[in-house]
Amino acid sequence: MSNYAIITDLNRCTGCLACTVACKAINGVDVGNFWIKTLRVGPHPIEGGSGTYPDVEMYFLPVQCQHCENPECVKVCPTEASHIAEDGTIQIDKDKCIGCQFCAMACPYGVRYLNQVEGVVEKCTLCEQRTSQGELPQCVAQCGARARFFGDLDEGVENFEAPAHPDTPGCQYDEMTKTRVKLKDYVEAYTENDIHHLTNKGNDPKLMYLLREGRKWRE
Amino acid sequence: MEIQWPLILFTFFNCLAAGVFFMQGLLTLTGKGKKMQNASCVIAIVALAVGGLSVFFHLQNPLRMLNGFGHITSGITIELIFVIIFALAVILYFLMARRSEEGVAPKWCAVLAVIVSVALPFVTGESYLMAAIPVWNTMLLPLYYVVAMVGLGGFAALIIAGAVKEEDAVKLSAMVALIGALATVLVSIIYAVMISGMGDQYTDMEFYFDPTLPDVAMREVTEVTGAILTGRLAVAFWLGNVVVGGLIPAVLAYLVMAGKISAYKVLLVAVVGFVCLVIGTIVWRVLLYEVAVNALIQFQWALN
Repeated sequence: MSNYAIITDLNRCTGCLACTVACKAINGVDVGNFWIKTLRVGPHPIEGGSGTYPDVEMYFLPVQCQHCENPECVKVCPTEASHIAEDGTIQIDKDKCIGCQFCAMACPYGVRYLNQVEGVVEKCTLCEQRTSQGELPQCVAQCGARARFFGDLDEGVENFEAPAHPDTPGCQYDEMTKTRVKLKDYVEAYTENDIHHLTNKGNDPKLMYLLREGRKWRE
Repeated sequence: MEIQWPLILFTFFNCLAAGVFFMQGLLTLTGKGKKMQNASCVIAIVALAVGGLSVFFHLQNPLRMLNGFGHITSGITIELIFVIIFALAVILYFLMARRSEEGVAPKWCAVLAVIVSVALPFVTGESYLMAAIPVWNTMLLPLYYVVAMVGLGGFAALIIAGAVKEEDAVKLSAMVALIGALATVLVSIIYAVMISGMGDQYTDMEFYFDPTLPDVAMREVTEVTGAILTGRLAVAFWLGNVVVGGLIPAVLAYLVMAGKISAYKVLLVAVVGFVCLVIGTIVWRVLLYEVAVNALIQFQWALN
């Protein structure tokens, strides 16, 4: 049993959309649909500033399935197609999905959609096919700013991992993809108060966003 | 997500089926409507079937239902259970009426009819209560379905009474239609006022941008919550739901109840009232979708 999640350091995220694109490529997400979107929040005037540039702030916000602790999508699913998997992520058993789309309505974040071809609802799987083999989710592996870290909440968010440069130049692909760095060893210092979640409607979203003091988390 | 017409039709036909059976239950309890029994049962079952058929147009893989509804506490499963209970109650009423020597279903069947008829629209509404959609997440939604059921049932019974010439059922049916129409318009107005005050249940992000929806403007929360009462949907609400869907049917029902409509015109007036009420209730259901589906908790547009 594990409790997988992702934390995104918003002070590092540059809004390059690499996560969005990498996810579509590896998961075969149709044109027009997304399992993860990178929204821009702001620019907002800084409190006490002139109200115009350069006294403004903004951040990018990658939004995907939050793999909630008490998922509303699972509660409303009549066939248990949407379920909590053993690794703590929310998955959809496509063979059970009747396409009622109540899960899409019940999701506070609008991250589920109907796959018109298959007639079933889809969303981020947290790259179950990769994490079950010890790899990182593709959005984490391809993050251009090394802002995204993946791991098991039961082992502490500070131990979440991102890909890192191998020590030896010219190493092989396998070695390169297996080299990792931990959140606590890599990002700027942060406190518990700097860790945020999307709006919680009782569903307790597990994915986390790191936005340090100095930039206002909009909620 | 777009407006789901099959679901709107499903909830409407559920209310209609329940309304017809509810009225038949009331009439039986008061010793009236003997000639209407068969017609009411048939119409209730047909309406229920049409509603069920509508759902099939919504579900993408309906046959997978045969695998069973494993999640017994989900709203849809409970809804299905009540649909089956309702259908069984109608069949039971029909059989007991035919079996009875007086040709009238026993009172306990009538009580059962009233109970299942109130329960069905309530459970239907209850299945839409979701924390993610604040404008639906209120008990006013199931309450609206119940009062709409009463209004639809009253007018449907007036039509049936007019068609089978059951004059002793007219006054009670008109009274129920009047109460139902007034309650429907009252609940929908209270509901609309409540929605307009739901802004604080949404997260206001102020300025934000979705690069995958570059041509979709961000909206303020109040644009969504205020749309029905005073915003872009106000004309449909006040004209379609309140005037056409509530006040006109109420006036017509009152005229019938007060005996100001001659007997041979009751059927025509009932049909007009019924059509108005149908227009109103469909308009309201569409408006509820309009304010719900394009406003996420945190971003007031549809992300997908």
